[in-house]
Amino acid sequence: MIQFENVSLEYDPGRFAVRDVSFRIPSGSFTFVTGHSGAGKSSLLKLTARLVKPTEGSIKVGGIDFSKLKARHEPALRQQMGLVFQDNQLLPDRNVFDNIALPLVIGGYKYEDIKKRVSAALDRVGLAHKALERPLSLSGGEQQRVGIARAVVARPKLLLADEPTGNLDAEISADIMKLLMQFNSSGVTVLVATHDSGLLDNFDFPKLTIRQGRLVDVHPGTRKGSTIRDRQAYTE
Amino acid sequence: MQKKVASRAAKPSASAQKGSAAGKQWTYGKRGYALAQSLRQLTQRKFSSLVTLAVLGITLALPALFLFSAQAVQQLATQNIDDESLTLYLRLDTADLDGAALAQTLLGKPGIQKTRFISRDEALATFQAKTDIGNALEALGDNPLPSAIVVYPVKQQADATAIKRLSKQLLSLPEVQRVQYDLRWVQRLQAAVKLIQNVGWILAGFLTLTALLVIGNTIRLELLRRQPELDVAKLLGAGTSFLHRPLLYTGALYGFLGGLVGSCLAIYAFSKIKTPADQLSHLYASTFKLTMPSASQFLTFLIVATLLGWLGALISLYSPSRKLIPSRRTGM
Repeated sequence: MIQFENVSLEYDPGRFAVRDVSFRIPSGSFTFVTGHSGAGKSSLLKLTARLVKPTEGSIKVGGIDFSKLKARHEPALRQQMGLVFQDNQLLPDRNVFDNIALPLVIGGYKYEDIKKRVSAALDRVGLAHKALERPLSLSGGEQQRVGIARAVVARPKLLLADEPTGNLDAEISADIMKLLMQFNSSGVTVLVATHDSGLLDNFDFPKLTIRQGRLVDVHPGTRKGSTIRDRQAYTE
Repeated sequence: MQKKVASRAAKPSASAQKGSAAGKQWTYGKRGYALAQSLRQLTQRKFSSLVTLAVLGITLALPALFLFSAQAVQQLATQNIDDESLTLYLRLDTADLDGAALAQTLLGKPGIQKTRFISRDEALATFQAKTDIGNALEALGDNPLPSAIVVYPVKQQADATAIKRLSKQLLSLPEVQRVQYDLRWVQRLQAAVKLIQNVGWILAGFLTLTALLVIGNTIRLELLRRQPELDVAKLLGAGTSFLHRPLLYTGALYGFLGGLVGSCLAIYAFSKIKTPADQLSHLYASTFKLTMPSASQFLTFLIVATLLGWLGALISLYSPSRKLIPSRRTGM
């Protein structure tokens, strides 16, 4: 599903965010990308979402070779992905319903579909009763759940989450993780960048550890139910 | 403060029902969404929108006034030409019957709208009636006045050049001794009209350019203000057209509303100058009357203003500084 081959990302000459990274993440897996702040986790996610282009190496996501992808096709690619951010990136002047509906409007969905899908997504994240609220009136955990609902409403095949529990306490973080796991269990490939050691200890999914832009460790994960527990699947 | 926020937040959630949270259907289509965003931009910042519209309205008022009056000014020039005529003095040996026949023949020629034959007797009678020296002619014995044909050129072709050309043609006729016409008044009026038209077009051009720049700058500011929202939309897979459309609509809306304000101001100015203009026309014994702009003129101006707004936004979005969107801010 996600394949990196000797990928490097150099923002400025000599300043590498990602350096010679190669790995494969199978479809339907739940994978952590971990490392200290500034290690290159977010850059790895940006590369996966084609928000930045690698300076070296090749990336394939869902069979699409990014090196052959034309700029005009990038929006369509991104519509097949769900992105969750640490700071939610919700629009403060729209209510929860309209925030979640935005990817569907962008995707050109019909009104009836939008209503149905947004309502279903709200139900799944347990916020059906908050549909008319503005994001700023919600708690941090609720905002993050809205962000997740927005990321999955168009039923993407790949969900990328960058520090989704970064600003949340342990209990709410666990809730958010459960939500992400629910989506994973329905076949969505989930890639979570986090440096939250509590989260990594409690949810023993496969981990890619990044240090100074380099992939230094691949941990296959031991958690029961983990789709992929074979280190080879990540490195072959 | 926290309580206040909490109570405000609690209000909508109580009424929130599954399925009823969606807004109006048209706002969820791509174009409807863009239009809703544009209207939201205009209404969210009422004061700055009003100021922008006032500036645009005042700027567009003069081009509107010029557009609305262009037809009237043209009409003024041609109306005075309409009264212009050429007098053909026939040779003294031309019989009245021949003269009348010639007047009839000329009527069928291109560029001539009307002719009137004046016999030698009629000319003498008129001369005697209108002058104090009429009796002096009697002393001469024979009527010394020639018969004449008054030729009225076709209104649409009656500019100074056409009248000169027609005069030359008529002078070549064997019966015609002399052709007399006075183009000075026509030429002066036409020159004045042309000057007014040219100055008007230049002023209208400058002011239109000003409107274009005002709209362009407004859109640029809007672009900066909406940058975070555009970044989010881009992250969610929005293409350039989705990102640009609300801003193009905003430009068009500014153009339309500015045009509306401008044409209202122009119509008001029109109503104020109509009476003095008509009085002036009356003093010059002209039948010219300043007509209020027609619905089609009004609509044309609104369409032009709307396109102008759209163009201003387009230039702003595709100018070299368009790198502002989408920005490199990716949120990750």
